[in-house]
Amino acid sequence: MSEQQSDDIGLTDRLDRLRIEPGNLGVSVLDLTAVGVFVLFLLLLVGVGVLSLNYGMYLLGLVGMYGFMVVGLNIQWGYAGLINFSVIAFWGIGAYAAALLTSPGSPHDILLSPVIALVVAIVVAAIVAVLIGIPTLRLRADYLAIASLGFAEVIRLLFLNEREWTAGSRGISGAPELFGWLPVEPVVRLLSAEASIGTARNTIVILGMLFVGYLLVRRIHRSPWGRVVRTIRGDEDLAKALGKNTYMMKMQAFVIGCVLMAVAGWFYMYAFQYLDPGELEPLQTFYVWVALILGGTGSDRGSIIGAVTIVAILEGTRFLNEIDLVVALFEAIPGITLNVSAVRLLLVGLLIIFVIRFRPQGLLPPKEELIWPGAASDDTQSRERQATREQRGVDE
Amino acid sequence: MSTLQLVVNGIVYSSVIVLGSIGLSLVYSIGNFANFAHGDTMAVGAFGALVVAIGVNDYLLNPETAVSVSPSIAAILETTLFSLPIWFFVALVVGMAAAAILVVITEYLVYRPLDTGSIELLITSIGVALAYRALLILGFGSDPQTYDIGRSGRIDWVSESLGVAITPRDVVTVAITAILVVGLHLLLQYTTLGRKMRATADNADLARVSGIRTGEIILAMWVIGAVLAAAGGVFLGLDTLIRPRMGFELLLLIFSAVILGGIGSVYGAMLGGFTIGMAFEMTAALPFVGTQYNAAVAFIVMIAILLVRPTGILGDDTT
Repeated sequence: MSEQQSDDIGLTDRLDRLRIEPGNLGVSVLDLTAVGVFVLFLLLLVGVGVLSLNYGMYLLGLVGMYGFMVVGLNIQWGYAGLINFSVIAFWGIGAYAAALLTSPGSPHDILLSPVIALVVAIVVAAIVAVLIGIPTLRLRADYLAIASLGFAEVIRLLFLNEREWTAGSRGISGAPELFGWLPVEPVVRLLSAEASIGTARNTIVILGMLFVGYLLVRRIHRSPWGRVVRTIRGDEDLAKALGKNTYMMKMQAFVIGCVLMAVAGWFYMYAFQYLDPGELEPLQTFYVWVALILGGTGSDRGSIIGAVTIVAILEGTRFLNEIDLVVALFEAIPGITLNVSAVRLLLVGLLIIFVIRFRPQGLLPPKEELIWPGAASDDTQSRERQATREQRGVDE
Repeated sequence: MSTLQLVVNGIVYSSVIVLGSIGLSLVYSIGNFANFAHGDTMAVGAFGALVVAIGVNDYLLNPETAVSVSPSIAAILETTLFSLPIWFFVALVVGMAAAAILVVITEYLVYRPLDTGSIELLITSIGVALAYRALLILGFGSDPQTYDIGRSGRIDWVSESLGVAITPRDVVTVAITAILVVGLHLLLQYTTLGRKMRATADNADLARVSGIRTGEIILAMWVIGAVLAAAGGVFLGLDTLIRPRMGFELLLLIFSAVILGGIGSVYGAMLGGFTIGMAFEMTAALPFVGTQYNAAVAFIVMIAILLVRPTGILGDDTT
């Protein structure tokens, strides 16, 4: 084996890593296909006339919002094994930051820019996450579960009862345009004359932010930090024995996840223009959980697929009482009334049970995605083995 | 409201919390997981009793229906025992039975086939909780309901001598809770089943090696926990309203109680339940804090305990 060749390989390897390829950024062909299929499916529905273009864009925006929450929860539960049942509380912190600081309906009349609200949302969510983490992250995993569920209820009560500060159950309506300078209009007009520019802009903003956020998360997932955090999930004592400050690492994972949830809430205010504490129902947290375990715990791609699935479930069940078969079925069973939100609740509950029983790894379990691209393909391994052999040969 | 009155309310509310937290603690120590469906099991008990209440009030005692009973039987049904109609006690037992049957079915269908760790069981129990609640809403609607038992006045001689309003149903709640708690104590300490349960809680593998059929012990754990939880749910329904969401609201309080008492310790759960129930009602006596925050006060107590003594008051003791 000539030296020339092994040098060549080293060089191409290095070049490979420098070149900006989808693979190097952490987006595999499979991800792009999955997203592409979903977008095509939506376009098809719009084309056939089942969905209006505006509703399709609204759905994509919703996927973006749930995507942020699921990716955030994946960092906590999927990477680090932290059970956070206060997803909706951190979402609420983000949403109320946006509503109180930027909305014309806010009781404070401040009208700041959405960017400042985003920064405030992130900072407040991070501080609150640290405060929750201090008493619970040193203890067994189930303490965090219970404490976070309680915390979510406290946050809901605060937003509901501190009327002078939060407008209480009256709610806050109206929000400024999100990034009004984005030249969305000409592009959208190319596609359709009646599409809503606001919805299109929001959808583009959240999907763009999710894309950037996803790349960052994917990057830290594969970093040494990500490896240690995954070790903590598998065996915390082992990580401690290796000299890792597991408490600090868990805290970091918890804070990053909570910040992403706050970003989702921040977006909600601009997309829906109305917020009241009724949105902070604990059930919302479990929607995000279903999305994560269904998509694949610990898998970044799975998180996105999970977000798509949960939006399909939530929006799909809205039309249950328009389907004759379902209505007939409910009328056939005595003593039961068709209540769409209860059917959705039942569906979510059964999904949790069935996924854990029959497919605990989810739809897209984490596999090769955790290995740095090109680092573990078969020929690399043989190359490395070869290199070791050659080195040994030189030593001898 | 006088402080003494708050103490009385606290004792009544504590009964509900104690009944709930015992079952949660049993599942923690024998089943080894945090059962998030326990609050909704309490709600199932309350609705089970509601079925009897509806049956009696709307059908048996309603002269316009085909199944209405003759006046003599109606008189028997309406006979009061401690100012509560006799059918209420039947309803209590039916609620207990309904919750017990439901959890045993859940154990066979959901938990037993699962071969996973305690965290996966915890997440599964969330699914079970949502399913229970959905079924309750589908069956009974989401509006608040009552058992439709006329309010009896306070007990006169108590309000005259102490200046405290105590209703007969408060006395019934506390008395039945006391009977159930003492019964559980006797069962755990002096019967073979109790010894087997304590052994399984202590070390399930060792218990199995010693010839204890742990599968049966787990069933006993579910039945005992559900019966007590259902009683708590019925008493809360008697005191306030019966709503599908009541289970979730109770869940936080009983978890606080169990953590406060020490996870896995049944006697700790009783003590914790009593403390949390008192804290819940005593919120009214706190300055600057409205009663709308009484659930939050229980949560603050729990966080404080986690910071100071994470094992709880009686933690790491065997049951």
